[in-house]
Amino acid sequence: MTSTATVSPRAGSEVLLDVQDLSVEFDTEAGLVRAVDGVSFAVRAGQTLGIVGESGCGKSVTALSILRLLPRPTGHIASGRILFRGQDLVTVPEQTIHEVRTGQIGMIFQEPMTALNPVHRIGKQLAEAFLLHQDVTPRTALERSIEVLEKVGIPSPEIRAGEYPHQLSGGMRQRVVIAMALACRPALVIADEPTTALDVTIQAQILELMKELQEETGMAIVLITHDLGVIAETCDDVLVMYAGRVAEQGSADDIFRRPAHPYTRGLLKSIPRLDYPRKTHLRTIEGMVPGLMDLPAGCRFNNRCHYRVDRCTAVAPALDVVAGGHGVRCHRWRDLPAWTEPVV
Amino acid sequence: MSAPLLEIDNLRTYFPVRGGVFLRARAQCKAVDGVSLAISPGETLGLVGESGCGKSTLAKSVVRLVKPTSGRILFEGTDLASLGTKRLKPFRRQIQMIFQDPADSLNSRLTVGSMLEEPFIIHGIGDEAARRERVLELLRIVGLQTSAVDRFPFEFSGGQRQRIGVARAIALNPKLVICDEPVSALDASIQSQVLNLLLELQERLNLSYLFIAHDLAVVKHVSDRIAIMYLGHVVESGDSDEVHHHPRHPYTRALISAIPQPVPRRQRYRQVLTGEVPSPINPPPGCPFQTRCPHVQPVCREQLPPLREVAGSGRDAHTVACHFDL
Repeated sequence: MTSTATVSPRAGSEVLLDVQDLSVEFDTEAGLVRAVDGVSFAVRAGQTLGIVGESGCGKSVTALSILRLLPRPTGHIASGRILFRGQDLVTVPEQTIHEVRTGQIGMIFQEPMTALNPVHRIGKQLAEAFLLHQDVTPRTALERSIEVLEKVGIPSPEIRAGEYPHQLSGGMRQRVVIAMALACRPALVIADEPTTALDVTIQAQILELMKELQEETGMAIVLITHDLGVIAETCDDVLVMYAGRVAEQGSADDIFRRPAHPYTRGLLKSIPRLDYPRKTHLRTIEGMVPGLMDLPAGCRFNNRCHYRVDRCTAVAPALDVVAGGHGVRCHRWRDLPAWTEPVV
Repeated sequence: MSAPLLEIDNLRTYFPVRGGVFLRARAQCKAVDGVSLAISPGETLGLVGESGCGKSTLAKSVVRLVKPTSGRILFEGTDLASLGTKRLKPFRRQIQMIFQDPADSLNSRLTVGSMLEEPFIIHGIGDEAARRERVLELLRIVGLQTSAVDRFPFEFSGGQRQRIGVARAIALNPKLVICDEPVSALDASIQSQVLNLLLELQERLNLSYLFIAHDLAVVKHVSDRIAIMYLGHVVESGDSDEVHHHPRHPYTRALISAIPQPVPRRQRYRQVLTGEVPSPINPPPGCPFQTRCPHVQPVCREQLPPLREVAGSGRDAHTVACHFDL
C-alpha cells in the first residue's frame, strides 16, 4: 500500500527534516483508524513547506506527530521515520524529544487563546522557555522575553509582558504565540493554521512577520493550512493531502502551474477568485471526502474523480514521479488534458 | 428602477456595557453606527468586513433578533424597526436567515423532517400531508436525498448540514434571505457547491440576498453590489466589479491587497496595514479608520467623513466615506 517511488528532493540547502513513510493510527470506538498513511517529505533549512488539504485529510496529525504530540493513548505512530538532524524522532527517548520541542522545533497553533495559559502573565509564560532551555536567571529570562516580544512587533513590550492573554487582541495573541515558538531560536517552526482565526488584514501582517523572521534567522517552516492562497504566497514546496495520503507534492510552481492530480486541479478551480465574472457557476468537486472508516478501495479520490477507470477502484496508485521533485498519486495523470490556468 | 425591497436608513444598534455593583450601563458599544443600505428585488448585496465591524449585528437587527437603537428598516415600505412582536410575525416569513455554523444553528434533537416542518406549523400553513410533501420537495430543491427526512443533523457532513440550513431558510418562500457567513465553516471543495446552490436558488425563486462574509473574493463572486463595513460604519459601497477594480477607500484597498491569491510568487504591491481595529466601545471621534490609515490627516481625527457619491448616482452610485480623493 505504501509508495515505492520517492521523489528526489530539490537541490539546495541541507535537509533539516526528513519524514519517511509516516503512518499514524488512532484507536477509536469503531476500531483502528489510519489517519496518515505513508507520507514522505523533506524540509530544507531556510525554506517553507506547505501542507494543504481539507478537514480530516491528516495534515494536522502529520504536524503533531513530528513532535510526538499525538493525543495519548489513542494515537500512535504506526510506522515510518522522522529524521531531524540525523536522529529519528520516532524512537528517541522522551527526554530528547522534550529538549527538541521549543529548543530546536517550535510550534504555532491555530487558536492563540487556547495555546496560551490564561492565568499567567505573558512575560512569565515566555520566560519559561528560556528558563527551561537556557541556563539563565529569572530576571534575564524576563528581559529576553521582552526582547522577543519587541521582535514580533508588539508595541510597548515591557507593558505587554505584564498583561494576561485576554487583554490582547487576536492578532497580538498570535504574535505572542509566534514569539514563544521562536524564543529559543529554533531551526524549524511548525505552524498549524497560524492565521485561520485572524482577519485578512491581520493575516497579512502575521505572514509578513513570519517571512521577515525567516529571512533573519534562516529557520525552516512547515505551514499547515486549508487556504491555497496562503500556500501560494508563502511556500517553496507543497504537499497536497487527501484522506490521509499525499495526493501530490512538489514545488509551489509544480502545484499551481502544473498540477497533475485531478484533486489538486479541482481545488484550484473551485475557489472563487476576485477576477472571475460574478454570479457565474463555480467549478466544484462533486461529492465529499470519504470517512476514514469507509475509504473506497483503490484510489481514495475515485468516487469524486471525472477520470476514473476500473483500475482506479481496484489498485491504489503509488506515488509517481512527474519530474524532479514533483510527485503525484494518480494512475491517469499522463492522460489528463493540459492544465489551463482558471483565470479569465 | 423598481422600489427597493429592503431599505435600511441610518440604522444604529448600540449595546450597553454594564459594570459596577448595580450593573449600570457605563458605556455604549456602538456595533452599528448609522448604516444606510438598500436591496432591490432579486439582487444580492454583499457586506464585507472584519470581525467586530458590526456586520452580524446589522443582520440580526434586520431580522429583529436584536432591537435597533434608532433608524428605520423599511421592508416593502413598512418600518420593521418599530413594530411589536405580533405585528412583526407576518414579516418574519418574508425575511429568513442562514447562519454560519449549521452544527450550531440546527436543533440536534429534531429530525430533519420535523425541523423543516416547524415553520409551517408556526405559521399555520397546510395540513400534515401537505406539509410532508413540501418538506420532501425542499430536500430535493437543495440537493439532498429524501431519505434525509428521518435522520438527525449529526448524521450529515458540514456541507449537507448547510443545505438543511438553506432548506429551512427557503421553506416559507421568503423574499429576502440573510446569509451570515454561510460558507466560512466549509471546506474549499464544499464551499463552491453551496455557493452554486445559493446562486441557483436565487434565479429559481427570485430571492434577494444580504450576503455577509469576511472573504471579499467569495462576496464579490455572488454579489451585484457590495458594501464594506468598518467599525460600525459603511466606508464604501457600489457595484461589485466597480469596487473591486476602482476601490476608493484606503481600507478597501488594503483589504483587496491582503487577500492571498493562489498564484505563486505573485509580484505585486501589498499594503500591509499596521495597527489594529479600535474597540467599538468609545470609538475615536472622526474617521473610524484613522488609527490604521496610511494617509491620515488632522481632519480625519476631528470629522466623521460622510458617504459621498464618487461615480453614478442614486442606488447604483459608488459611494465612499473618506475626506480625500485618493
